[in-house]
This record gives sequence, C-alpha cells and structure tokens, in this order.
Amino acid sequence: MRYLIWRLIWFAVALLGLSLLVFAALRILPGDVASVMAGTNATPARVAAIRSRMGLDRSYPQQYADWLGGLLHGNMGVSAISGRTVASQIGSHAAITLPLIVLSLLVALSIGIPMGCQAALAGSPRVRSVLHTIAIVGGAVPALWGGLLLIMLFGRGVGLIGILPSQGFPDAGWHAPRAALISLILPAITTGLVAGAGIMRYTRACLISMEDSDTVAMAMACGMTRRQAMLRVGLRLSAAQLVSVAGLTFAQMITGVMVVESLFNLPGLGAMLINDVGNRDLIAVQSELFLLAAFFLLLGLLVDLMHHALDPRLGERTQHVGGEEHA
Amino acid sequence: MVQSNGAHGESDATEADTTIQAGAASGASTDASLNARVKQPDSGHHKPVIWMIAALIVVALIACIVVVNSRSRKTATPTQSDSVAIGIKLAPVSLDIRNQSGSALEQLLIGNVYEALVSRNSNNEVEPGLAKSWTISNDGLTYTFKLNEHMNFSNGDTLDATDVAWSINQLKSKQYYNSDQVENLKQASASDATTVKLTLSRPDANMLWYLSGRPGLVFDKDAHYDAKTTAVGSGPYMVKSFDSSSKLVLQANPKYWGSAHKARTTTVTVRFLPDDNAALNALTSGDVQVLSPVNANMTGKLKSSGKYTVKATEGSDKFVLAFNCTGAKTADKRVRQAIRYAINHKEIIASRGGVDAALGGPIPSVDPGYEDLTGLYPYNPAKAKSLMQQAGYSTNHPLKLTLTYANVYGSELGEQLRSQLSHIGIDLNVNTVEFSTWLQDVHTNGDYDLSLVDHAESHDFYKWTQPDYYYHYDNAQVQALYAKALAATDEQDSAQYLKQAARIVSEDAPADWLFAYRVSVAQAKGVTGFPSRLTQSVLPLWKVAYTPAKA
Repeated sequence: MRYLIWRLIWFAVALLGLSLLVFAALRILPGDVASVMAGTNATPARVAAIRSRMGLDRSYPQQYADWLGGLLHGNMGVSAISGRTVASQIGSHAAITLPLIVLSLLVALSIGIPMGCQAALAGSPRVRSVLHTIAIVGGAVPALWGGLLLIMLFGRGVGLIGILPSQGFPDAGWHAPRAALISLILPAITTGLVAGAGIMRYTRACLISMEDSDTVAMAMACGMTRRQAMLRVGLRLSAAQLVSVAGLTFAQMITGVMVVESLFNLPGLGAMLINDVGNRDLIAVQSELFLLAAFFLLLGLLVDLMHHALDPRLGERTQHVGGEEHA
Repeated sequence: MVQSNGAHGESDATEADTTIQAGAASGASTDASLNARVKQPDSGHHKPVIWMIAALIVVALIACIVVVNSRSRKTATPTQSDSVAIGIKLAPVSLDIRNQSGSALEQLLIGNVYEALVSRNSNNEVEPGLAKSWTISNDGLTYTFKLNEHMNFSNGDTLDATDVAWSINQLKSKQYYNSDQVENLKQASASDATTVKLTLSRPDANMLWYLSGRPGLVFDKDAHYDAKTTAVGSGPYMVKSFDSSSKLVLQANPKYWGSAHKARTTTVTVRFLPDDNAALNALTSGDVQVLSPVNANMTGKLKSSGKYTVKATEGSDKFVLAFNCTGAKTADKRVRQAIRYAINHKEIIASRGGVDAALGGPIPSVDPGYEDLTGLYPYNPAKAKSLMQQAGYSTNHPLKLTLTYANVYGSELGEQLRSQLSHIGIDLNVNTVEFSTWLQDVHTNGDYDLSLVDHAESHDFYKWTQPDYYYHYDNAQVQALYAKALAATDEQDSAQYLKQAARIVSEDAPADWLFAYRVSVAQAKGVTGFPSRLTQSVLPLWKVAYTPAKA
C-alpha cells in the first residue's frame, strides 16, 4: 500500500516536471502560429496584429499558468489553427494509432514469444542459431524498408500479389469496421515484425537465463521434462520481465508507428504532431505532447503495478527488505 | 545448478545431442509414476500450440485476402462513378479562408464551396461569377455589379447584394487575409437586391482580378458556423468533412442556385499526399484517380502503362531565389549578377524531370506583363567569375553565403546551387529549415543572405514595389511604373508598364527566378473535366467526372 502511494506521488511529480519541460522546449522553436496564419503575403504589422489577437504577446509564465490551469480542469485547449478542441483532435487520430499499436503488438507477441521459446529450446544448435539470426536481422531491418517491401509484395495496385490496401484510411473510418481493419493489416505487420524480433530476443534471453535456475531444476526434479519445466515454470517466471518488455514495446510504438503511419498515409497521431509542430500550433502541440508523455508514464506505472501482481515476492521485499531470505 | 547438468549429462552419455525430452525422461526413469506423468504430454504437446497459432495467423490472412479479392472484383462498372478522388500535395490547415494563409485553401474552396463576385477561368481571365455583368466608370473609381437573380447559400439563405456589400465591408474593417490587395477599395454598398456599387479611392487595374480571389468572396451574413472546420458558401459543392491530415470530402450542393456550374459528380474527395512515393502508390492502387502534382521524375512508368495520361500544366508558381538587397554581402550588385550568370537553369530543370519552364523575371507567363527575360542573364560562368573578381572574391578567397529555405522543397535544389556557385568563388552554406522557421527568420525578420521559396500567387508583382517586403528591393522607377500600371484604365497600357517594370527588376538582379514550376497532372483514363492550367491556384471541380473502363 505504501508502495502504491509513493509510486503515485512520484507519478504526479513527474507529470508536473513534464509539463514544464514540454512548455519550455516548445518555446525554443523559432517561428510562431501567427506568421504561419499570415503567410507569405503578410506585412509584419499584420503578423503583430494576429499575435496580439491570439494572446501570443503575453508573458511566458502567464501562458504557462493559463495552460496548466486548463489542464487541471481537464481542458487541454483549442487548436489555434483548426479550431477543434485538442481533446477531439487527439481522439480522432488516436482512433487510428491505438488500434494500430494493439494490432502490431498482437502480431509482435504472436511471432516473438513462440519463436523466442523455440530459439531457446530447439534441440539442434543449428536451429537455435538460425532462429537467433532471424531475430537479429528482423530487429535490424528498418520499419520503413520493411514496409516498402510489404507494399511491393502485397500493396493493392502496386504489389506482386496486390491484395491489401496500402494507402490511407477508409473515408467512413470505423463506421466501416472491416475496411478500416483491413487498411491496418500491412502497417500492423510492418511494425509487428520489427517489434516481434525484439520480443523474440527477450523471450529467448529470459528462458536461457532460466535454464540454470534452481526453480527449473526443482521442477525437473519433480518429474517435468526440461521442455515442460522451461515452458511451464521458466516462462511463468519470465512473465514479469516479458510484461515489462511488452509494455515498453507498446510505449515505443506510440512514436515508432509514426514513420509507418506516414508510409501508409494513415492520419494517426504522428501526422497530427507533425502538422501541428509545422504550423507552430503550440497550444495544441504542448497538450498533445503532454498527453503522450503522460501516457508513457502511466504505462510505466501500470507495468510496475502489474509486476507486483505477477510476482508477489516484490511486494514483500519493499515492505520488509530481505524478509524472504529468512523464510 | 548441479542437478540440471546431471539430468541429461549422465543419462545420455552416448549421445550429447539427443532430444531434451528423451534425456529428461530417462533421467527420471527410476520412478515409474513420474515416468508415466512425463511420457503422456511428451513431444508434441507444446509444439502444436506454437504451430497452431502460426497456422491460425496464416489462415486468417488468407481469409482476409479472399474477402478483399472478391470485393474488388465487383467494383468494375461501365457507368459514370458517383465519386472521384483527387490527390494533392499540400493540405490547407483549416478552412478559415478569411484568416488562414495558404494557396491550397484558394485552390480547393474558391469556385467550389465559396464563390466570389467575379470568377477566374483557367486562362487567368476574369469571368462573370455571382455578378453576371459589371460596368466601370470612366475615371475607374466606381464599379457597378449586376448580380444574378435567385441565388442562395447551401443552407438555403438567399444571397443578394446585401451579403456582397457586407462581405466586402467586413473584409476591410476586420483586415481579413489579402485585404491589403484591395487597399484602393473604399467601400461597397447595395443599391438594390441585385446591384452592388464599389467605390475606389484610386483606380486599380488589378481590382477585378483580386475580386475573383479571396477579397471578392461572398459569405452569408446571417449564418453562424465555425469557419475553421465547416463552410457555408454558395458554390456547387459543400464541405462534407475535413481533416487536414488526410482529406477534404466535397459533396454536391443540392440547393445550388446556378445551372452552368452544377456538379457532375456527387462526391469529390481530395486527399492530401505530401509524400511523392505514397502519392504515386495511391494513384496506381486506384485510391485516387487524379494526382496533381505528380513528381515529374516518377511519371515514366505511368505513361508507359497506358492507363494514365500525364500532362504538364502552366501556372503562376515562381521558384524565387531571393538575394537580400540590403544584406551585407548581397547589397553589391556585381555579386547578385554573378550568381545569376553562374546558375545553370537547364541543368536544374532537367534534374527535375525537364517539364518546368525557364523564367527570367518576376512575372509568370500566365500574368499580364509577361515577357521572356531569360536572355538577360544567360548561363555564363566566365562572366560570373570576372564579376566576382571585381567584387574581390575568387575560388581561393570565396564569399561565404547562407541559403535558407524550407525543407518542403527537398535538399537537391540547395545542393545543386551550392555546387554551381562553388565554381565562381561562392561558398554556399545550405540551411534547410521548417517552413514556419523560414517564415519567421526570412519572411518576417528579413534576416538572410539567400532565400528560396515557391511564390505561387499570380498578380504578385507588387511585392517588388514594397521595400519592407523581405526582398528589401527599393527602386523608385519600378514603383512609379507599377503605380502607372495600376492607374491605367486600358489593359494593354497597364501590361506595357508592367513589362517595363519587370525588365528593370530583372536587370537589377534582386533575385534569380530558377524556373516556373509547371505542375504535372496524372489522371486515370476515364477522368474528364479536370482543369488543364493553373491547377495550383484555381481548381474548379464541378465538371470533373470519372467513368471507369469496363473490366
């Protein structure tokens, strides 16, 4: 319980620091939204007039206070350019990015864990090394290149077996669930393959480290085969680490899928951020970045809590250090 | 630790490489009950699970493929499609055409969603629009417009002279975008429901043309809507949805007042495809039927496939390499002239696919006052070198200059210029920045040596008459000629003055005009009615239609 409270306090402190960092970092960027709105025909006087109309001539502490005040009330502000609330803007783009990440993670896990187990347990060293090589090569292939290859193979109209759409998101969005899902297949495989290779390496490493552990030995002493012991006990014990890795992979994908989104022309969070930074729509960008970073922190929090749930020993250790040694 | 080694080390001394299961099994063989437990799930309890998952994924994929394939076969029909998708490169960031800059806004909304007092055809000439006719008083100070009758907005509100006068007076009082283009316009008034009178403070030969653009747009004075995300106009199309990161969907306006420009296609989707490769994929995969622009270096395959037509279209885009006329290093006219002589325009144009046109001065071929000025500064590296020598620079003692331009134009142009200028003793540092940074540093603050930007606007010669514009070009003779051109009530006279002014500007070398960008438009066979000129600034979509070929 005490752990939970401390963890939450640190979470709040980190959020506050984050808001300061995001706010300050964006103020270093040259250019502002007023000159973007005014365009190449405008006179400096016109730019100045727009600046004061939008309140960009207020002092930084004042702007920060206003923004933070809004955040505390759950109001992330309104984009100066698109006129939509930042919340709705994030919502409509996350409706593409989050399903894409979840799909990618499913692909990654369904490739990574079985192959990782296989790489650790395969009988012949030749099979092991082939699988290990696949993991390394798979992780080294840039997603952009892998995506291009997939488009050349499966992209409708351009690929050798042109069967899957490779550009854009259907006009109807998720109102046409099948078309929407199909348009995410290639991008999900692209990110899933790369992330899957990473998960495969972690799974393999976890299992190999378990190979020599007392618990696996114990399980085998109780009559399990080595394979059984590894998969039933070893994998179970690795679960906590694998959850961390999956959580981190999930977090990485939020930024990682942006490249893939742009390759497949999906209007996800990446496209939104690039647009908003390009337009110097700072009110929107700072809320968006803040929310994304907060999401990272939240994932970290969840992973930590999940660790405690998966591995009760952790909880004991924080309450009375070393207690389990005596037991 | 010890046990695990023993488990298969001792039992399988004969062959170290036997399977793990066998090792474990024989290791445990002393206890019959354990043995029984072990054998049962042995070899092939876990393996099939792994392979079954893999097999399931494969089956799921194949199922998707079959579904998609059976769907796509149905689409081929010989009749006209009720939708057309068009791919363009730059997206408007919002729909607020009264406040937001960007040529994409004008390109997409004017003539399609919003209509102006007068309209502009693809030859850049003024035509009747909401006004069916007009008269100009002899002194050029009063314009009287006769409007069409029974006009209305897409929301059903009537559009009459009061809306026109209100829109123009709002433009002036609220200083909307490009209101400075019509600074000679004093006020608008509605004489009756179909007559609008504009009073000018000075004659302005460009007035009608500017009224065909943003300053002449007519808005519904009674409508309340968020102009950034929606639009209420009087045009043949209405905005169905808009997302600046993906597309603008236009739907035919069922209440459109006119018959001449009635929409031929129910739904026109405009997709924003900033990446050239992605854009080409979208065209070849059938997601869009028209691509404007298409990268001229990528059109070879399209042409040879026989399924697409590719045409280069003329426009008003000028790639202007501006030299800061008041900058410490570029104030010296010899340096500026040397740069113009040193640039090999043919090479640059060829590397971009060979469709762009050479341009020797500030006025593009589609504007009044155009004259071929490419002869003023022909490619002549020897002359460039001697001019640089006179200015005190050589390849051993080079002049250091920085070129600042937006990364949207790619890095190749900067590299080409750097290499071409290095031969005459200029050490060019190429600084590609975000467009908003360019706007701040170069455009607003005027802090630069060399700058490169695509000035897409037509009729924008006036920038050379404003010394506080980022060109910092100040020539009293040019300003006087331009004033005369504006005051001239005869079009021919006006064009003649512009011609003279443009020649002087080009001779002074405040910039080099690298080329006039000609947009390559690729369209699938079966697409009709897509404009063939000025597609970057006026894009009337009402006559676009698509009839897919019979499968």
